Amino acid sequence: MTLTWQNPALLFALALVTAPILIHILVQRRAQPWPFPTLRFLQPTRLASIRRHLVDDAALLAARAAILAAAVAALAGPLVITSARRQAWDRRVVRAVVIDESSTGVTPAALATSPAFRSRDFRTRSLADGIRRAVAWLESSPSARRELIVASPFPIGSITAADVGAIPQTVGIRFARAGALPPARTVDAGPVLTGDGVRAREATLDGPRTVVRETPSADPAVWPIEILNARDAQQAVDAAVAAVLSQRVPVPAAGQRARVAIVEAGRTIEGTASQVRTPWIADAIARVTRDPDLQATARRVPAGFAAARLPSPWMPIATAADGRPLAAAAEAGDRLMIASGAPAADLVTPVLLRSIARALGATPDLARAEVVPIADRWLREHERAPSPAAPPTGDASRNDDADNDRRWFWLASLALLAIESWMRRSRRGARESRAEAQRVA
Amino acid sequence: MTNTCPPDVLADISDLELVARIVVDGLVSGLHRSPFHGYSAEFSQYRHYQQGDDLKYVDWKLVARTDRVYTKQFRETTNMAAMLVVDASASMDFSGAGGAIDRGAAAAGISKFRYAVIASAALAHLLAGQGDAVGLQGGSRFLAPRAGRQHLRSVLAALSSLEARDTWAGADDVRLAAERLKRRGLLLVLSDFYDDEERTLGELRRAHRMGHEVVLFQILTRDEIELPYRRGVELTDLETGRRLAIDAGLARRSYTDAVAAFLERWRRRAAAEGFQYSLVVTDVPPQRALRNMLLARGRS
Repeated sequence: MTLTWQNPALLFALALVTAPILIHILVQRRAQPWPFPTLRFLQPTRLASIRRHLVDDAALLAARAAILAAAVAALAGPLVITSARRQAWDRRVVRAVVIDESSTGVTPAALATSPAFRSRDFRTRSLADGIRRAVAWLESSPSARRELIVASPFPIGSITAADVGAIPQTVGIRFARAGALPPARTVDAGPVLTGDGVRAREATLDGPRTVVRETPSADPAVWPIEILNARDAQQAVDAAVAAVLSQRVPVPAAGQRARVAIVEAGRTIEGTASQVRTPWIADAIARVTRDPDLQATARRVPAGFAAARLPSPWMPIATAADGRPLAAAAEAGDRLMIASGAPAADLVTPVLLRSIARALGATPDLARAEVVPIADRWLREHERAPSPAAPPTGDASRNDDADNDRRWFWLASLALLAIESWMRRSRRGARESRAEAQRVA
Repeated sequence: MTNTCPPDVLADISDLELVARIVVDGLVSGLHRSPFHGYSAEFSQYRHYQQGDDLKYVDWKLVARTDRVYTKQFRETTNMAAMLVVDASASMDFSGAGGAIDRGAAAAGISKFRYAVIASAALAHLLAGQGDAVGLQGGSRFLAPRAGRQHLRSVLAALSSLEARDTWAGADDVRLAAERLKRRGLLLVLSDFYDDEERTLGELRRAHRMGHEVVLFQILTRDEIELPYRRGVELTDLETGRRLAIDAGLARRSYTDAVAAFLERWRRRAAAEGFQYSLVVTDVPPQRALRNMLLARGRS
């Protein structure tokens, strides 16, 4: 049998126990004695009248301190963990059911194999997000075995090992395949920019096969990147742009443009730029920085900019072999501004331009259109039974007041309060009797 | 118009002789005759010669002018001896509620003890000025009654050296003072008369029976008559050190009644015993208090 506290931080309030003592001391101090020639004319009954305000009785002081201590202990959520209590917790189940909105017609009751002490549904389009919310709710639930049921058709990519790994080990996991995936699905794959203009794309996911069909589009082809370079590098720049277009890059969103300044190797960055504040520019910089092709190609360039540290507000997006920045990004007006220290004729230039063009364009999420389900074997491997219930802590205590021994401490407070009142009354009675006796005498 | 220097101003003057002179100057300027009769053998009146009168008292110059025989009559008096009995107990070291009722430092007032010392000094100065003998019984100091300026200075020095502390053995002091007055004399007692009321009164009665004239100055502050404290206050008895907390608002009525009864008891007993009694409140200038006493004495 152990005693734990559900809100141990509140035990600091035990310092309040010193309040009656401090009040006693302060009251005594405030009652500064004043000299007086004689007390013979002051009646004892009158003299006693103020005494009842002073806490001059040690037992009374102790009773008052005990009242405060019991009240603070009650607020802190005392919990005596007995084996009977543990067994009671283990007998009940708190269940969270995450239901993929695409799995129509699924009811939580149909998924439950046993009655739950408490249960809650989380309908979501993203299983990962639903699982996060379900876990948070389970952690704030009263002590019980905790179970998470995930109901979905489970297309590939809908849930990953990382999502499962984020679930606490004490929470049981059960996957229920609900709903059926279509055999094939055709979705818009987004327009692309090519050397021949804009082409619309359509992807068909048919079992393990994916077919992409392109058709010419009437939309005007606008190359979103303005390139500033030396006159003698123009030919290399044109070749780089042509190479990028040959690889088909997404058509950029409206208003999202970039400017690339190709400076000579070993030079410093000049020109006006500002801190990145526009969300799409920040997002684009992040995507460029995460481009593995760009990073690998940049590391083959022997030297970057002259300065090992870029002046503010430039931030490095690729690093040369010497460890110095090879490309840097900032914001200039309403554009993404990129400075490149790589020669125009170097392979880095077309790779950088491709990375920027891809970052400016919208990439369709074909994973949501997936028609191939996750294998049953993978799901079974990640299922597990709930662990025995753990004692409630933190927010859990507030969800179930029956799961603590607060009431006993409150009762103790009330009992002590009654004792304190009785002591006060009896002492007052005794004082008045004494005063009366003195007066009569 | 009499000079009535405020008591708190007098209290700040350390030179007791100067204070006594100030008080006495203000005191006698308004009196028509000396407050204490000159008790030397002095001419009283003429009367017609009667058979058997001693011829040495015949005023022969008057016979020559008027052809009538008159004899001189003299009042047979002697110089008076007075003993000052000063209560130097701790209860006399009270100057009022002061800070307890937020009157401010300026209203601290004069202590009963200092007031008694000043009044005693003034009386000594007055008595010595007309050739009477003055003695002192206060605390542990005793000076037998003697006349003369030198002795007056000793009395004033002894008064200056007195300190208010402990309790007052009033009965013993009165008895000693009365016994030191070898002939019929004047016993001047200055006290709040809180200590051992019955015994003190008994000794005063005994002194009176011995033929001494007894004059009582009961000295109190206004605050110990009216108890002006607000709400709860803890009071310390200056003599016993006992502490008591009171709600002044609740206690005031019964307290003032009790004090009034105490003062009335002293006044009534003094009158019954033939003592001259004066209640002196320390916010009244000493000149005025002494003057009132002397005027009353003149009327009696």
